[in-house]
Amino acid sequence: MIIMKTNIKIKIQALITGVLILFGTSCSDFLEQTDPSYLTAETYFRTIDHAEAVLNSVYAGLRDGLGGAYGGGPWLMTEMATTLADTDLGQAENSYSIRNLANTQDNDYGEAHWSNKYRAIGNANLAIKYIPEVEVSEEDEDLRDKYLAEAKFLRAYYYYELVRMFGGVPIIDEPIDLESEDFLPVRTEVADVYDLIVQDLTEAEATFDAQDLPFNDASGRVSRGAIKTMLSSVYLTMAGYPLQLGTPYYTLAADKAKEVIDEGAYSLFNSYNDLHDPAMKNTGENIFSVQYDAVITANPFQPHLIPYNGNISSYSQQTGAIRANEDFIAAYVPGDLRAEEKQFYYTTFTDKDNRDSTVNCGGHWLWKHFDEAANLGDPQSDLNWNIHRYAEVLLIYAEAANEVSANPGADAYNAVNDIRTRANLADIAGLTKDQFREAVWKEKWFELSFENKTWYDMVRIRKALDVTTGNFVDFIGYHPPYLPAGTALSARELVFPIPYTELQNNPNLEPNEDYAK
Amino acid sequence: MKKILTILLLFLTVSVFAQTRNITGKVNDSSGNPLPGVTVLVKGSTIGVITDANGNYSLTNVPSNATLVFSFVGMQKQEITVGTQSTISVTMVAEAVGLDEVVVIGYGTVKKSDLTGSVGSASGEKLQERPTTGIAQAIAGRVSGASIVQNSGRPGGETRIRIRGITSISLDNTPLFVVDGVILPTTTTIASNGNVSGLQSGTTPIDYINPNDIASIEVLKDASATAIYGARAANGVVLVTTKRGSKSGAKVSYDTYYSLGVMTRKMDVLNSAEFLMIEEEAYKNAEKFDATGWASGTKYIDPLTKRTDPRLFNPDGTPIYDTDWQDEVTQNAFTQNHQLSITGGGEGGSYGAFLGYQDEQGLMKVSWMKRYSARFVVDTDINKWLKVGGNLSYNNQYERLINFGWVGRNMIEGLPIIPVKYPDGTWANNRDYPGMEGGPNSIQVGEEYENYVKTHTILGNAFANITLAEGLEFRTNIGVSSISQLQDDFSPTGIAFVGANQNGIAHKGSQTFLSWQFENYLTYNKTIADIHSFTAMLGTSWQEDTREAYDVSVWDWSDNFYKTNNLEAGANYRPPTSNKRAETINSYFGRLNYSLMNKYLLTVTGRWDGSSKFGADYRWGFFPSAALAWRVSEEEFLSGSSVISNLKLRTSYGETGNANIPPYLNQQGLLTSYSYVFDGALQNGIGIANSMANTALKWERSIQYDAGVEIGLFKGRIAIEADIYKKEISDMLFNAPVPNTTGFPGGAFQNIGNMENEGLELVLNTVNISNGDLSWETSFNISMNRNKVTALHEDADINQGNVRISVGEPIGNLIGWVNLGTWGEDEVAEAQAANANWTSGDMKLKDIDGDTLITVDDMTVIGNGLPKGYGSLINTIRYKNLELVVDIQFMYGNDMMWLTTRPQRNRQGIANSLAEVLDAWTPDNQDTYIPQWRPTGAGYDNRNTSSMIYDGSFIRGRNLLLAYNFSSDKLRKIDVQKLRVYATVQNFFLITEYPGYDPEASTQGVAFNFGQVNFQQYPRPTVFMVGMNLSF
Repeated sequence: MIIMKTNIKIKIQALITGVLILFGTSCSDFLEQTDPSYLTAETYFRTIDHAEAVLNSVYAGLRDGLGGAYGGGPWLMTEMATTLADTDLGQAENSYSIRNLANTQDNDYGEAHWSNKYRAIGNANLAIKYIPEVEVSEEDEDLRDKYLAEAKFLRAYYYYELVRMFGGVPIIDEPIDLESEDFLPVRTEVADVYDLIVQDLTEAEATFDAQDLPFNDASGRVSRGAIKTMLSSVYLTMAGYPLQLGTPYYTLAADKAKEVIDEGAYSLFNSYNDLHDPAMKNTGENIFSVQYDAVITANPFQPHLIPYNGNISSYSQQTGAIRANEDFIAAYVPGDLRAEEKQFYYTTFTDKDNRDSTVNCGGHWLWKHFDEAANLGDPQSDLNWNIHRYAEVLLIYAEAANEVSANPGADAYNAVNDIRTRANLADIAGLTKDQFREAVWKEKWFELSFENKTWYDMVRIRKALDVTTGNFVDFIGYHPPYLPAGTALSARELVFPIPYTELQNNPNLEPNEDYAK
Repeated sequence: MKKILTILLLFLTVSVFAQTRNITGKVNDSSGNPLPGVTVLVKGSTIGVITDANGNYSLTNVPSNATLVFSFVGMQKQEITVGTQSTISVTMVAEAVGLDEVVVIGYGTVKKSDLTGSVGSASGEKLQERPTTGIAQAIAGRVSGASIVQNSGRPGGETRIRIRGITSISLDNTPLFVVDGVILPTTTTIASNGNVSGLQSGTTPIDYINPNDIASIEVLKDASATAIYGARAANGVVLVTTKRGSKSGAKVSYDTYYSLGVMTRKMDVLNSAEFLMIEEEAYKNAEKFDATGWASGTKYIDPLTKRTDPRLFNPDGTPIYDTDWQDEVTQNAFTQNHQLSITGGGEGGSYGAFLGYQDEQGLMKVSWMKRYSARFVVDTDINKWLKVGGNLSYNNQYERLINFGWVGRNMIEGLPIIPVKYPDGTWANNRDYPGMEGGPNSIQVGEEYENYVKTHTILGNAFANITLAEGLEFRTNIGVSSISQLQDDFSPTGIAFVGANQNGIAHKGSQTFLSWQFENYLTYNKTIADIHSFTAMLGTSWQEDTREAYDVSVWDWSDNFYKTNNLEAGANYRPPTSNKRAETINSYFGRLNYSLMNKYLLTVTGRWDGSSKFGADYRWGFFPSAALAWRVSEEEFLSGSSVISNLKLRTSYGETGNANIPPYLNQQGLLTSYSYVFDGALQNGIGIANSMANTALKWERSIQYDAGVEIGLFKGRIAIEADIYKKEISDMLFNAPVPNTTGFPGGAFQNIGNMENEGLELVLNTVNISNGDLSWETSFNISMNRNKVTALHEDADINQGNVRISVGEPIGNLIGWVNLGTWGEDEVAEAQAANANWTSGDMKLKDIDGDTLITVDDMTVIGNGLPKGYGSLINTIRYKNLELVVDIQFMYGNDMMWLTTRPQRNRQGIANSLAEVLDAWTPDNQDTYIPQWRPTGAGYDNRNTSSMIYDGSFIRGRNLLLAYNFSSDKLRKIDVQKLRVYATVQNFFLITEYPGYDPEASTQGVAFNFGQVNFQQYPRPTVFMVGMNLSF
């Protein structure tokens, strides 16, 4: 009995000791766990494929803000601010408050732009930091440099949007973590942001020029033409408000635009329908666009272009989020093709349940972004969103060249008249410098309407198109006819408010004047 | 041991006494069930016997002047003088405080009387009074300090358990569940939008345990009790002990019930005439709110001109239909439940087999749940020093879920003028009436959208118990838990807003949680000279939890035939997704229980936990606790008291931890979902993650102080247990927002601040009447908790959605604007000064910052969803074989933010509204909070205001039960041990000011987001049930 007990004891003790030793020693490994689903920056970024993947994430940010349904969408922000747009979407308070000049810091559109663009910049910073470090074969060196240049172009684009929307935003040019100095950044001067933009763009341009890459790129990537076009747009803006750098920058803008024009890689479409024909993606007039694909990533903004519950489309969501103010349509001169039915705008469409029957849509909706195939058939749109098209280059050139010469030159006239000819309008000729300037502006307003361009131009020239007279008047003090008497654009509307949550989360951030208490 | 002793005594009895009488009898419990194992002792002697499996006993040679003492754990002792009787049958009544009752604590058990910590417990028998689908619902009201909110009336339910308030603002406040010693895995994780997600419909692993399998549940509340689970115990611990076999012979039990759930509360919405009238009036107001739109002549269309569709309108323009969508969408829900168990055993061990089947219909049409469960348990005494046993359970739950976003919404917003189907059998749709918002027909989406979830759970453990020496035991336990969930959902091509844009979507997803655990511990018991008694325990634990998931979606279907059964038949493939994660925990723990003269009790525990979720420098945490108790009633000066039968004072201090956060937060991963298209081809993109990593992340700590008193009066007829506590939580883990300039919209987990909970719990159990035929017992409990945030990073507020967290305030403050009604006709100038969009008839909000403009700076705290108190009052009356239970539940002091009102109060003429909009502003009715009717296109205000806040206090008739226990004498003739039939009504009344379906719910996902309810609330039925418990 006693012997047996002892045996048991020995056995058990051995067991316990064995168990404890076995597990006690392996415990340090036992608690080491790394994420099997996601790589970390330290372990990634080794090959040219990695460089390409991180660059793609910077491109992906281009899509942000173009979607949305009954809440509206961030891309409407700079349209509602023109005072030329209307909405039937009662829920979209964010649109109403901007349109009614009653915008506040908590506007979701502004929050989304801020957040989306800084996220894209975060990706660009990753790309710009790590792409130079990837190991490549000699033959891939050019490709690596091109990827880096593309990332710089895209970072410049995001900052260009931010600085125009919000003013001197914080400059973040490195990946951020909790320990970073710029975790709670301060705002910078507007000029410093433009310096970064110009630096990134000119570096990108240098790489593309050095590699003698083509001006256009049918796959939808950044091209030499895209870089130069954006540079001309940036220089034009720097020449105007708020930096007012004047003549040297008009010269730069004109030169860059001229380079694009002279290359002959782009041309105006003969038909306005080509502007929203998916078959014409990345060709002809289209210089740089946000890429969509009906099967993979469908264009998300179609529901915004459909009259509110108008039952004209195969899309379930028909939000009526944006249409043109009727007084803006009325401001087009008679005979301007662009204002005619189904050129830039539409007022009727067929009934979804009976395509032989016509629905009166009750206003001018945006035909220039309307994907007819998707609205009639499978509601998956293949259409891209244009960031830069050739018509804008012509108009940048015309305006900038006029500013740096005593009188408008022949090339400037040609640029504007190409646009007018397509709109069935007579050529302009014999104008003074001041008359020509206004003529270009008008062309820009009527040609590039609802393409997220007009408000930036309004701020740049501090002018608004008075839709009742058809003339340009000072931005500050302009009274849009749809608003109650006494309501007018003020200096406040030259910039959007720094978003409320960002101010909450970053005590170092100063709000934009007049939006704070 | 006791048994052997008794048998030994029996032999002695036979040999010593010679000239006396023989006595036989039967011992029943108060329900009439035979009670085996009752000790029957001749008072003042060592003569005695125990009752057999049928409750029978016989004693021989009992002196006629003797007194028999009947005793049983948890029952009141009874003394009966023998006199001339030869048959003495006794009904034992449960002791209100079962001081000898054994309570399960982590890694051991202890007698209730020796407990130093605060532990609430409920027996399986009590739980059976109110059969439920889930364990959490079963505990509701049974334990003080545990708030159990049934968050959905959906079959299968979704229940939120909070023990002693909110301990964490991080992911999860769900306590740790331990089933037969196996810690259930944490299944929650965080989605990119910050919402908590995990198992489908917000369920947790405990929801898949068959409540019928429970023998007892213990809720560990204070730190002395919970600290043995260390780092994961901050939210409290729920220990579930499942039923096992019995050594007293074979037994078959069959339990069944049938129930019918009925919709009892409806929301008041507009009927057809009202809806059309408001549409007309709104149209007339368009000019006032949108003069230019009105002037265009095309933006607004006179509704009277639209009412021409002969399917919907009579020739005179009056509506043909007046559909009540709430009636259409809901049904009387039939449920049946069958549970069969076979248990048995003998000296060498025991076994049990448990089978269950439940078929539950949802109150909302087409939703249902079926559950099949099986469990097998075995305990074997291999020899004197070795016991082995194990437990294996399998549960298969099959559910059909509804598309709540649309069915739930359109049961309120569906137009009354639209039928479900037209006479020709085609589905009607809101858009059939021009200008309407659309959205699918609730019944169509209910029937045609198919969403099935299958959940397989396996829970098993095997243990060996080795007696090394007297008082020294070693136990090793291996547990495995596996939860596998498969989702199949198909949105057919024809339903607008659901699958129409994508021309049909088939989705198949799977997630598997696998968790194993290996624990070893030594326990040593020793009593020295009847004065010092101690139990020491030392152990180790290893645990690994993994989750693997994949998801596939295919769009664009040529036919609705295939559903999810042939994904390759679809035309457009979304990129599939998959994910894997793992976390490990290694622990060392120990506990010492010391008792001095059975009066002074001390418990000291400590646990070291290491978790893979933290970086190497922050990985280990030590969580100690200590508790003292004084059994005052054992002191000389109280020993003879006829009033105080039990008095215990206890106090404890301890630390516990919380790490209910996703794994890998200390590593900065790269997100892979940045694909882009070039040339019509998808290109993968890799970039920054949603959330920022934090390499310095560490445990959240909770320090808890507790003081309690237990009082038993008049031989336990009145039992009071009261506790006060304070819980200080520091280094709170929180996914705090970071500036968006960092590029991380998902924020970063940080140890963000401190919080405290103070509370009081009171349990009062009384036996009001107790005589042979009639007994009446009352059980009352109330818990009160006050929460306060004491520190935040830089003391800055945290805003998330409608909730604001501020220092000095309780968690869960609901924020919004203070609604002062509407602007009057004489206030147009003020209205426009406040907001350029406003005029008379618009919402009037309070200007908090005094700058006349109404902006975000005028938002303030308008409510709080935390209750001030909650509890229950349960009365149990037995008369002979009849039993009546009245179970009342209450909660008070909590606000509800009824988000439903935003779409359903502010938008007339495009969807249906709540009937309260009839009280809208008009020049003749300016004293109202409902803004003037207008077409939505004319603009309206859609903010969160105080007019959406309701008092969420309620009193609910949780359960009304009437049961009949057939007398055992009659049953014995047909070899039946027990037959009980019962009928219950659950949720039999509800008194509340809250106008929505049920105040006991929150539809928002974030951990601290209480009291916010939108249209996605599954209504809760009143349930009528009849059932039977049979065993033989």
